[in-house]
Amino acid sequence: MLNKISGHEVDRRLLLKGAAAGGLGIAGATMLAGCASDSGPVTFGVRTVDESPMAQAQAIVDAYTAKTGIEVTANFTESNAFQNNLSQYLQGTPDDAFQWMAGYRMQFFADQGLLVDISDVWDEIGDQFSDSYKIASTGSDGNQYFLPQSWYPWGLHFRKSMMAEIGLNPEDIYNWDDMMAALEELKGQGLIGLASADKGGWEAMGTFDILNARINGYQFHVDLLAGREKWTDDKVKEVFRHWEMLLPYMNTNVLDLEWDGAMQLLLQRQAGLFMNGSWFGANFLEQSQEDYDDLWIVPFPEINPDHGRDTIDAPLDGIAVAANGSNDAGAKEFVKFAASIEGVEAQLSTGIPLTSANNLQDTSAYDPFQKQQLAVMGEAKYITQFLDRDTRPDFAGPVVGPSFQEWFRDPSSVDSILESMQSQWDALPPL
Amino acid sequence: MTTTVKVPELPKRTKKLYAQDIKDRFISIFIGIFAVVWVFPIVWTLWSSLRPYSEIRAGGVFSPPQELGVFNYASAIDRMELPTYFTNTVLITLPAVFLILLLGSLIAFVVTRYSFKFNVAMLLLFTAGNLLPPQLVFIPVFKLYLLLGDLVGDRRFLYDNHWGVILIHVAFQMGFATFVLSSYMKTIPKEISESAMVDGASVFTHYFRVMLPLLRPPLASLGVLMITWIYNDFFWALVLMSTDNKRPITSALGRLTGEFVTDYNLLAAGAMIAALPTLIVFFVLRKQFVGGLTLGSTKG
Repeated sequence: MLNKISGHEVDRRLLLKGAAAGGLGIAGATMLAGCASDSGPVTFGVRTVDESPMAQAQAIVDAYTAKTGIEVTANFTESNAFQNNLSQYLQGTPDDAFQWMAGYRMQFFADQGLLVDISDVWDEIGDQFSDSYKIASTGSDGNQYFLPQSWYPWGLHFRKSMMAEIGLNPEDIYNWDDMMAALEELKGQGLIGLASADKGGWEAMGTFDILNARINGYQFHVDLLAGREKWTDDKVKEVFRHWEMLLPYMNTNVLDLEWDGAMQLLLQRQAGLFMNGSWFGANFLEQSQEDYDDLWIVPFPEINPDHGRDTIDAPLDGIAVAANGSNDAGAKEFVKFAASIEGVEAQLSTGIPLTSANNLQDTSAYDPFQKQQLAVMGEAKYITQFLDRDTRPDFAGPVVGPSFQEWFRDPSSVDSILESMQSQWDALPPL
Repeated sequence: MTTTVKVPELPKRTKKLYAQDIKDRFISIFIGIFAVVWVFPIVWTLWSSLRPYSEIRAGGVFSPPQELGVFNYASAIDRMELPTYFTNTVLITLPAVFLILLLGSLIAFVVTRYSFKFNVAMLLLFTAGNLLPPQLVFIPVFKLYLLLGDLVGDRRFLYDNHWGVILIHVAFQMGFATFVLSSYMKTIPKEISESAMVDGASVFTHYFRVMLPLLRPPLASLGVLMITWIYNDFFWALVLMSTDNKRPITSALGRLTGEFVTDYNLLAAGAMIAALPTLIVFFVLRKQFVGGLTLGSTKG
C-alpha cells in the first residue's frame, strides 16, 4: 500500500516529478563509478589544460602506446586545482604517474611516503641529466622521486628594439651600479625602470630569491628557506635595503597588478626591464612573432663579488610516480620513457618549442631566445627552484606572500615584518 | 472654514505632492545608484567577454574596442567541454535535491507532528549541523570516504564518485531544509493532522497523502534554492573527487585559466555561460524564489 501511495503521489506532483527524473540520473551516476584496474594500463595525471602543454603530454602518451602497446590514459586537470588538491589526490586515488615540480615541493610529499622511489630509473637514464637536476630530484632520504622534463629561467627581460632606441645595452649591466645607472636612465626617459607585480603574492618572490642569492649566496638562501637561518638576520635586512633602492623605479601599482599586468607594461613599451620567468615568451609569441623576436633575457646583475652571478631560479617541471596508484611498475616504465630523450622527441614532434631538461636534446634547433635562456642558465653554478617551491607550502603561501605585500605597502616596517615572519615560521607545526 | 475647504485645497495638494515627489526622486536616485553598482560587474563581464584578450594585452582594459564578437563564447564552450561537465552537474544536483527534499521533509514532519521526548533536540541537532563550515570538516570526510572505500575494497566507492558528492550535499543542506520545512509545517493547523489520525491514517499515509500536498509551496521554493546552491558548489567536488572530468561545471571554468596565463576575456565568456542556467531557473521560477526568501520567517 505504501509503495502504491507514494508512487502515485510522486507522479502527480510537478516538482517531485522533476526530482524523480533525478532518480534516473542516480542510475547513470553509479555506472560511471569505479573503474580501477591493477595491471597493464597506466593512468597519467597531467596538471594543465593549456593547449600547447596538453598537446605535448598527449604526444608522449601516443608515442609510448605506439612503442609498447600499453594503453595510457591521460587525465587533464587545471594546474591550480591540481596543485591545491594534491595532498588529497595523492592520499586518495591518484593516477599512476603524474606531473609535478622538483625541489622541496616534491620532497614534502616524498617524506610522507606518497611518492614511489624511482632511483632505479635514475640508474638507467640518469646520464641524460645534469647533476644539479639530480639533486633537485632527490628526496631528503637520498633517493630519487622525480624525473625532470622541462625548465625555464628567471631573469631580467627587455625589448631589444626599445633598449637600442634609448642607447642602453642591458648585456653590459653586470653589477648593481650598472643596474642603478640603467634604471636612472630609463626613469629619465619617462619610463618605468623595472615592471613589477605582486597582487598574486608570489610574483615578487622571484626578486627576493635573486637578491638574497646575489647578496648572501646560494647556501644562505637555501638555509633560510629550510629554516636553518633566521629571517631576522641582518643579512636578510640587507636584501630588503637593496630591494628598497629598486622601488622608486617600479610602477606605483605593484600590488594592483598580477604578473601579466607587469608583462603588459613591457609589451606596451612602458617599462624597460621585467624580472620574471621566461615562460611569458609564449604570450609575446601569441601577440606576434615580431614581439617574440624582440624579447631578450640577461641574468640579474652581481651585487656581492663573492657570489658573482652564480645562482639562478630555474624551476624544474617533471614527472613522478604516486605510491597509491594501482600500477607502480607500469608507471615507472612510463616515466622513464617520458623523461628520456624518446619522450623529448615525441614532444618536439608537435612543433611546439621546448626547453627540455634532457642533456641529449639537440639545442641547435632552439630559437635565439631559447638559446639565450640556455646561456643565462649556463652561467649559473647553483639552481634554485623558486621560493614557493623551495620552502614549506604552509609557509610560502600564507606567510611569505602576505608579508612581502605588506612590505610593499610600507617598506619602512621591514624589521617588524621580518620578526613576524620568523615568529610565524617558529610557530609552524613540525612535519 | 468653508473657504479653507473650498479654495486653498489645490495648492495644498500640489505642495504635498511636491514634497512626495522630492522624496520619490531621492529614493529613485538612491535605488538607481545601487542598481548600477549591482549591474555594473555583470555588464562589464559581458563587455569583456565580447573582446579578444590580445587587444587587452596590447592596449589595456580601457582601450577602445576594435573587434567585438562572440568568438570567446565559441572557444569557451569548446574548451570547457560543456556537455561532459554539464552532465556531471545534472548527475549531482538532481539526485541531491531530490534526497534533500525527501529526507528533510520526513524529518520535519516527524519532529513537528509527533511529540516525543527528543523532537526539539533532534531539530536542533539537524539545524546545528548546518553551522559547521565545510572547510573545517572536509579532511575527516575525505578520510572517512577513503576508509569506507577500503572496507568495501574499492577506493572509488564514495571518493572520486558522484555519489560521495551527492551524499555530502544531502548531509549539509538537510539541516536548512529541515529547519525551513518544520517552520512551515508549524503554520499548518494541527487539526488537519488530528482528523487524519482519527480517520486511521498510518504515519506514512499521513505524510504522503496529507502533509506532502500541503508542502508544495515550500518544497518548490526550497528546491529552487537548493538547485542554485548545489549548482554553484565548487569546493566539495574539488576535494572529494580526483578525476577532473567527473567534476561539475564550476570546475570546468578552471579549464579556462592557464597555469600562468589567464585569458580573462575567455573566462568572462565562460562565466556568463556557467551563470546562465541559474539565471534561467531564477526567471522561470521567480515566484518560488522570492517566496523562498521569506520561507519560515513568520514562525520558528
